[in-house]
Amino acid sequence: MNFSEETLMAYADDELDSQTRSAIEAAMANDPEIARRIAQHKALRGRLKATFDKVLDEPPPQRLVDAARGVPAVRREGNVIPLRRKRPQRTAWPQWATIAASLVIGVIIGQVLLRMPTSGAPVVSRNGQVLANGTLAQALSDQLASTQAPDAPVKIGVSFKSKAGEYCRTFAMHAPTTLAGLACRDHSDWRVQVLAQNPQGETNSARSGAAYRQAGSEMPRSVLQAVDENIAGDPLDARAEAAARDVRWH
Amino acid sequence: MTVPDVISSTDVRGMHASLDQLREQIVDLLPRLRRFARTLARNPHDADDLVQVAVERALARSEQLRPDSRLSSWMFGILRNAWIDETRTRGRRNRIFAPEELGENVGDAASESHADALSVQDAMGRLPDEQRMAVGLVLVEGLSYKEAAEIMGVPIGTLTSRLARGREALQSMLDDTTGAMQ
Repeated sequence: MNFSEETLMAYADDELDSQTRSAIEAAMANDPEIARRIAQHKALRGRLKATFDKVLDEPPPQRLVDAARGVPAVRREGNVIPLRRKRPQRTAWPQWATIAASLVIGVIIGQVLLRMPTSGAPVVSRNGQVLANGTLAQALSDQLASTQAPDAPVKIGVSFKSKAGEYCRTFAMHAPTTLAGLACRDHSDWRVQVLAQNPQGETNSARSGAAYRQAGSEMPRSVLQAVDENIAGDPLDARAEAAARDVRWH
Repeated sequence: MTVPDVISSTDVRGMHASLDQLREQIVDLLPRLRRFARTLARNPHDADDLVQVAVERALARSEQLRPDSRLSSWMFGILRNAWIDETRTRGRRNRIFAPEELGENVGDAASESHADALSVQDAMGRLPDEQRMAVGLVLVEGLSYKEAAEIMGVPIGTLTSRLARGREALQSMLDDTTGAMQ
């Protein structure tokens, strides 16, 4: 009896009904060539498995376990992930949804800086770091979330102590452009860790105004993620916030 | 139906599995997802990136997982789609780089089994994408023809012919490099 190569492969893969299987086994007994071809298919299968099964013995990288468990991934220097990752959108922040994914601090900072004279810019670049400047720096140093005016030019969100032992604060502002971000105390400066910009960017539009009003309590996803990654323990309460300000955040 | 060689007890998702349970089931599946991704991407780092994308996509659309469907099949399908998106985006960059990287590693091979593994990976990398996927799902992952065909979205006949062609190509490539089969 003649069997096609696909049938012999299906035998090696255990995909045949019992009748065909018996027929092949009977043929194998009489025809060493059929037995040889089946052995070859099985051997290839074994060889492939032996090659790729090795990965089963490795513990999966932490970043994959974190991704499955929903722990925010730590951004690694030089570990460029070339695949575009779709992030679930946060319905509370439709105006931020598009930028959360496209947040690239350098681009945004470049846009902010290019338009501004250094004296009035909310952020400046120095020694490869991005530092808060002007009214933003002042608000980060002086303003308390618990007592800030509703129309303050910069709104402070949460303050907390980072894993590195620095005080960090989230902020939002809508002039000269709608920005939200996270800054951490670095000696006498505020180092900007994450900065998100409203893609519209208009100072007076209803959209950025709405974004601004919410900014004290809600932040773009990218900023929240940075908080999650950096925070040690809980955010400061009003008393701890005031105490930290009184020691100049050191 | 062929029983896949590794089935965790949690593989079939229960009717009332919570998102947290799903997350842990996905953690349990990570080794197999990584193995499947390596049959596709060849470069281990790209393979893990692919797994990460698949995991994130799966969690973002967990409501699409039907209670009666096998989590592993669903995840393999998502991983496959992510890989297709990826190859479309990046063209065939890996195809150009992978053989060279593998060639460099061959010199480091401490044992014959290592050298053999590299030649198998190298041969896999030379297969057309659809054949490689069929080989990966059936021969490496141990899925049934039916499951593999469903994941690839093709009739079983198409799957078996891709599998057969992939197998023949592998066989001839490996015969060329290492001689007789055991």
